[in-house]
Amino acid sequence: MTKRWLPWSAMALLVVGSLAIAGADGGGERTVAGRVDAIAAEVRCPTCEGLSVAESESAASRTIRDDIRRRVEAGESDGEIRAYLVSRFGKDILLRPEATGVSGLVWALPVVVGVFALAGLVVAFRRSRARTAVELSDDDRVLVEQARRGR
Amino acid sequence: MTATVPPTGRRRGHTARWVAVAVGLIIALFVGVLATRSPAIDTEADTPLLGRQAPPIEGPGLDGGTVRLADHRGKFVLINFFNSWCVPCREEHPELVKFAARHAATGDAVVLGVIRDDTPDEVRRYRTEHGGDWPVVDDPRGVVALDYGVRGQPETFIVAPDGTIVARYISRITADGVDETLRRYRGSGA
Amino acid sequence: MNAAVGLGAVFLAFLSAVAGVAVLTTGLVRNRPTLLRTGRVYVWLVLGGAVVATLAMQRALLTHDFSMRYVAEHNARATPTLYSITGMWSALEGSILLWGLVLAGYLAVAVRHFRHRAADPLVGWATVTGLLVAVFFFGLMLGPANPFREVAGAIPVDGRGPNPLLQNHPLVAFHPPMLYLGYVGFTIPFAFAIAALITGRVGEGWLVETRRWTLFAWGFLTAGIGLGAWWSYEVLGWGGFWAWDPVENVSFLPWLTGTAFIHSVMVQERRAMLRVWNLSLLVATFSLTILGTFITRSGVLTSVHAFSESAIGPLLLGFFAVAVAVSIGLIGWRGDRLRSPGAIDSPVSREGAFLANNVAFAAFAFVVLLGTVFPLLAEALGEDKISVGRPYFDRMTMPIALALLFLMAVAPALPWRKASGDLLHRRLLWPAWAGTAALVACVAFGLRGLATLAAFGLGAFAAAAAVRQLVLATRRQGWRGLIGRTNGGMVVHLGVVVIAVAFAAAQSYGHRGEFRLSPGQSAVLAGHRITYLGVEDKQYANRNAVEAMVRVDDDGVFRPALNRFPFAREAIGTPSVRVGGFEDVYLTMISAPRTADGEAVIAVVVQPLVVWLWIGGGLMAVGTLMAALPGRRRRPTEPASATVPAADDPPEPVAVEAAV
Repeated sequence: MTKRWLPWSAMALLVVGSLAIAGADGGGERTVAGRVDAIAAEVRCPTCEGLSVAESESAASRTIRDDIRRRVEAGESDGEIRAYLVSRFGKDILLRPEATGVSGLVWALPVVVGVFALAGLVVAFRRSRARTAVELSDDDRVLVEQARRGR
Repeated sequence: MTATVPPTGRRRGHTARWVAVAVGLIIALFVGVLATRSPAIDTEADTPLLGRQAPPIEGPGLDGGTVRLADHRGKFVLINFFNSWCVPCREEHPELVKFAARHAATGDAVVLGVIRDDTPDEVRRYRTEHGGDWPVVDDPRGVVALDYGVRGQPETFIVAPDGTIVARYISRITADGVDETLRRYRGSGA
Repeated sequence: MNAAVGLGAVFLAFLSAVAGVAVLTTGLVRNRPTLLRTGRVYVWLVLGGAVVATLAMQRALLTHDFSMRYVAEHNARATPTLYSITGMWSALEGSILLWGLVLAGYLAVAVRHFRHRAADPLVGWATVTGLLVAVFFFGLMLGPANPFREVAGAIPVDGRGPNPLLQNHPLVAFHPPMLYLGYVGFTIPFAFAIAALITGRVGEGWLVETRRWTLFAWGFLTAGIGLGAWWSYEVLGWGGFWAWDPVENVSFLPWLTGTAFIHSVMVQERRAMLRVWNLSLLVATFSLTILGTFITRSGVLTSVHAFSESAIGPLLLGFFAVAVAVSIGLIGWRGDRLRSPGAIDSPVSREGAFLANNVAFAAFAFVVLLGTVFPLLAEALGEDKISVGRPYFDRMTMPIALALLFLMAVAPALPWRKASGDLLHRRLLWPAWAGTAALVACVAFGLRGLATLAAFGLGAFAAAAAVRQLVLATRRQGWRGLIGRTNGGMVVHLGVVVIAVAFAAAQSYGHRGEFRLSPGQSAVLAGHRITYLGVEDKQYANRNAVEAMVRVDDDGVFRPALNRFPFAREAIGTPSVRVGGFEDVYLTMISAPRTADGEAVIAVVVQPLVVWLWIGGGLMAVGTLMAALPGRRRRPTEPASATVPAADDPPEPVAVEAAV
């Protein structure tokens, strides 16, 4: 019986190992271009709906991208750059809602609902397991036998 | 045949009803919120810049020289972001002309145009056709628009004599509407 | 003339629907089978009205009858024939007409399908429900969404033409009708759910009746969403295919609840469980199609896809509220009868997996709905205007999507009731190795990003599980092993895996660049050499275009263009794509040169595997068709398919539920 777990542990080892290699590789120095792209992807294009300034090629988006680059090169932090944009356009220039205050609800509610749903699932399984011991009559066994033989 | 499960008792008797009531209430609230929303298209718009110092404007003027917002300190300034190809800008233009003429004598308010997404040549042609003699600044890189958080055009900001922003419009303005805003601002004793 | 005929036909459809409701309800309440048999004839009158109205609209569009306001605003003399036809769904009023036509068609097919059971109250109430929906939509056409209104004043010499984005690509002829076939198709299962609640026959009969209807509606909706993504990619010019835009989200919501339903319905058929849940999913799916139409048409949320706004918002919202209120009321009222007689033996079983699948889909739908409407909720709570965009949706849906991929890999191997460790070992070992191998290979090839790698590994796992099932089935039954619900479903799963992998790859490993080039100059992005050759001016019937000639990697010249349409303020770009099995090179012209030998600005997007999104979508459509075909006939003695008479269920009033 122990043999059955051998391939599975080997698999687990391979999966964890390769994910660890991939994870360790990703955390290098952040380049200017990488930071600009990351910030731009979370800033809404002011003249077009639904796109970020990283995706949009409108004039306003290009201006904002250039400005982000200038500020990154000038040594401003990501937070400072976002705060500047909010001070000019308002909060809705950011595509990622803040995690605090009212807008924090959009992050918290799914987690709360998810936890409740999972809890409900566990309770449902527990409850149905409590109602076990279904009595089989001889008729049932005969029926099952017939069905098996008919296959 | 499948064996039956003994009834689970009265414990779950009304679950469906209560869940239905709860879900119904949530949806009623939801519908209420949706029903009371106004369409996203709005004219008078909020901006984080209200009540704050207007970001400086300095750049090449359409008619040569340098245009500076700071030169107009002590007057109301109507900063108007516009271009030659936007239809509402065209429709708004006569109102700007009317406003500028009204205040030319008293000298208490001026218009300052900022070109948005257009070339100076096009705008010059547009001005000969439609009139207007107020200073216009070119903004080829869109940095002034960025400083003011401009989203579309036309868009207009009113700057008070002390340099603070007192109003923002994200669609067409009328001369009377702007004068009304100015009166209100003066009346509030600021 | 067209307007008069059209409006008359709409009026006929409306009156017939009202009369049908009246006659059928009388027959049902007074128990008069004759009335039930006559009542359904009104459905054919509704269909007749809808068809004549559609013909009148098409005739008006094709003959450029500008005395009709809709034609004057959404058609022009220069509009090509194809876009004259599609003009019917280029704006709100015509779209509602299309909705009415599709609904009438579905109702007529349903009435014909159940013609031998016209006296059955279940069918009767379902027809009434369907006709009530028709009353609402044809009522809209008589009121605020009248497509046949005449122009005020003099008849214009020429019209404004459709929105430029809607006369730019032939996909516009397929995407909206598919979407509507999907949206409206859910009306039939919804009608039967309501009928089952009203008659109290909440056993499994109505489910078997509507199974194939649901599957078709779901398939059309899938195709519609897929074609919409393709249209976005080919037309909008930003190189993406899914922006988590409100309009995309609201079409995705019924798909999510519908997908949850077609999985959990199997649990109800086999084990007689989850009845309230399944009814709720159908109600949610139908209501979400209405809510979606409200959100896109009322202007409360702006979107790239919302091409019109009008005063029908409050009516749609009201209809949504009524539909939900009635359904919830009925479910609450019938709550006792809906209690399920079955129970889940073990979480490690097919039904356990379906339950987990449903929790995941429900969570997915909740996140998408919350994110879409949250700006409105926050405003109502006194918060400033905020945006909820891609970063939110990517972050929140990614874990759910990965969980679903995992379930997709494991669930087909699980038996009903209970799984033994030995069985799991036997069935899952090779699929799991496939997943592991894919993951290790991806890491070895230097791919990075944990979520993306997880998607690849789990995708391979799920694909192998689906292939294993298909191979076993075909070995046992030959080509018939490919059809039927289970095996067709596995083909759909393969399509989903292909899409998931392509989506993850395109999102993670894309490159963007923007180049200012003079004729003859080149630029290099992600290993591709882009050479700008020059521009050409072209005149088309409905537009003037400036086409750039751009060579990609020495093989072929592509022509991204800027189009100027009459009545459009800005130039509309048309991208040009070098499609490849591994990588797409997507070109758009940002600005045309001022002189022939001036500089043009060309934007380039290089994304891997994009073409597999469309292939995966096609696979899903084919799989849905296979699933809809009747599969291997089961013998009723076979344990798993034996019907489960519920002992603690009240006896059914009519014994027609013996579903075979």
